[in-house]
Amino acid sequence: MNHEIMKKKKKKNDNGEEQQFEFCEVCKLNHNQGRRHIYFPAHKSSLSALLTRLQSKLSDVKPFLKTPMLLPAEHAQQNRLWCVFCNRDVIELDTPFACGKAIEHLASGEHYKRVKGFLWKHGGGTHRADSFRVVEGDFKKWEKKCKAMKTEAAKAEAVGASNNIHNELNADYLNSFHENNTNSLDFNITNGVVVPLQSYTNEKVQVSCSVPYSASEAGSTSYDMRGRMQMVDAQCLKNSTGFMDNHLSSSSHVDYLSNGSVQPGVKVFHGDSRSLNSMNLQKISYSSKEAIGGNVHTGATPPWFNSAEENEIMQKPELSNFVNSKAGKSSKLNPKRVGAAWAERRKLELELERRGEVITKDYDANWLPNFGGVWQSGTRRKSRKEFQVENKKSLEFDSQSESFVPLQPYISKRMRRDKSE
Amino acid sequence: MEYLLPTLREKREVDSLIRDTIDKVLVLRFGLSSDSVCLQLDDVLYKSAKDVSRFATVALVDVDSPEIQVYLKYFDITFVPSTIFFFNAHHMKMDSGSADHTKWIGTFQKKQDFVDVVEAIYRGAMKGKLIVSCPLPPERIPKFELLYKNV
Repeated sequence: MNHEIMKKKKKKNDNGEEQQFEFCEVCKLNHNQGRRHIYFPAHKSSLSALLTRLQSKLSDVKPFLKTPMLLPAEHAQQNRLWCVFCNRDVIELDTPFACGKAIEHLASGEHYKRVKGFLWKHGGGTHRADSFRVVEGDFKKWEKKCKAMKTEAAKAEAVGASNNIHNELNADYLNSFHENNTNSLDFNITNGVVVPLQSYTNEKVQVSCSVPYSASEAGSTSYDMRGRMQMVDAQCLKNSTGFMDNHLSSSSHVDYLSNGSVQPGVKVFHGDSRSLNSMNLQKISYSSKEAIGGNVHTGATPPWFNSAEENEIMQKPELSNFVNSKAGKSSKLNPKRVGAAWAERRKLELELERRGEVITKDYDANWLPNFGGVWQSGTRRKSRKEFQVENKKSLEFDSQSESFVPLQPYISKRMRRDKSE
Repeated sequence: MEYLLPTLREKREVDSLIRDTIDKVLVLRFGLSSDSVCLQLDDVLYKSAKDVSRFATVALVDVDSPEIQVYLKYFDITFVPSTIFFFNAHHMKMDSGSADHTKWIGTFQKKQDFVDVVEAIYRGAMKGKLIVSCPLPPERIPKFELLYKNV
């Protein structure tokens, strides 16, 4: 059916340029090349760029398809996916699971249709349609896993009702992990407990982001939470050692590293924390030096100012030199410019006048600027002279008006000259 | 418009301004403050004066003043408003398609037109050219008929 339509089109328009203008969404360009456009290299490259970008976004979603995670409402808003095929945003509303709505959309039949249509229209290869959607089988598996998770969560809450500290910490810890999965750095509120930002929250986010991937790679099919926790802990410790080397300079953390031997079990994490809140925070012991220096509360100057002063003094002379050299470059005007000689002379005169040496160089009241006459065909000096001559003559004429003048119309040189031309 | 832009009524004022404007284009508008076209041109000049202030100075010359008559003759000003451009006390010509290249007769349709013209003059002057071509398209250049000695 499509081939027939294409044949008809071809018959009608033998000359490609006579086709109507269309807008290609991939190249963001209006063209009148019809179906030929999709085979041009420019279009192909922009299409491949677009699809690669989309694939990277989809690959972020794919892990959640395999292992669904719980997602609290505050962080869901930050996860949205722009579906290029359907030209709409997929926002995570009303779904407890990470990327829930996105997965549902990608699995829907309507989306699949659009994907195929898009690839046909832009020549991406309709066989690739499956890589941009979620197959029904995978979707059903995901749904099952979601249901299972829900029931497990319900169980966990029931268990946590008892005053078992161990379980409570487990549940809270698991929840905090889920929050960290959303890549948000401002998780000040966890389960209603206000947690002050600690110095190493960055690594925690980084660490836990890598966790679901590693967990899924490990291929743990059992959804026993404690078992997962153990795996996660081991991974966490491994990752945290790497991160801590990079991010921290405080000596106190070295102690933590030496303690953090990779042992299975949850106890290692909890053992160090003595804080009241459920987050496993480590206390940083201040070295005596820092205490003397003063802090925000005592109103001391921030450390970056102290070092900046030294740098400023160093940099300022360099800056002024730089500025001077630049000014020197532009102040030298083109010597060939109009009236350059005059300008230089005049500048010197003004300088002298400014200094106080008053030069009584009164210009002649009859001074006239350099002017190229309208009908003139010689040098400009000539035009000025001619004018002066004319003026003189007219003055003389006026003065002689009383005396007898032969009745002869006066024809100026200019007129004579022009008439002859 | 006298209170907005410097208005000159004496020859020596004009002379001193021409002599003292160094390395900047001097735009001298010869006109009457009672003429409507002049007023429109003055409006355009006033509004753009600040924008071009780094490379141009704008001043108005009253044509009715007795001392200025010699300039009218010298510059051959018959139509009003006429704008003459100077650079370092040298007169700059602009070819705008009409017969008279020595001055700009009439007003500008937009402020940007005026700025473009002054820029063209400045660029030409910095390169050492005494005559430049007009950057405006012909439909925006005011047309007039040039009379040769009132013929």
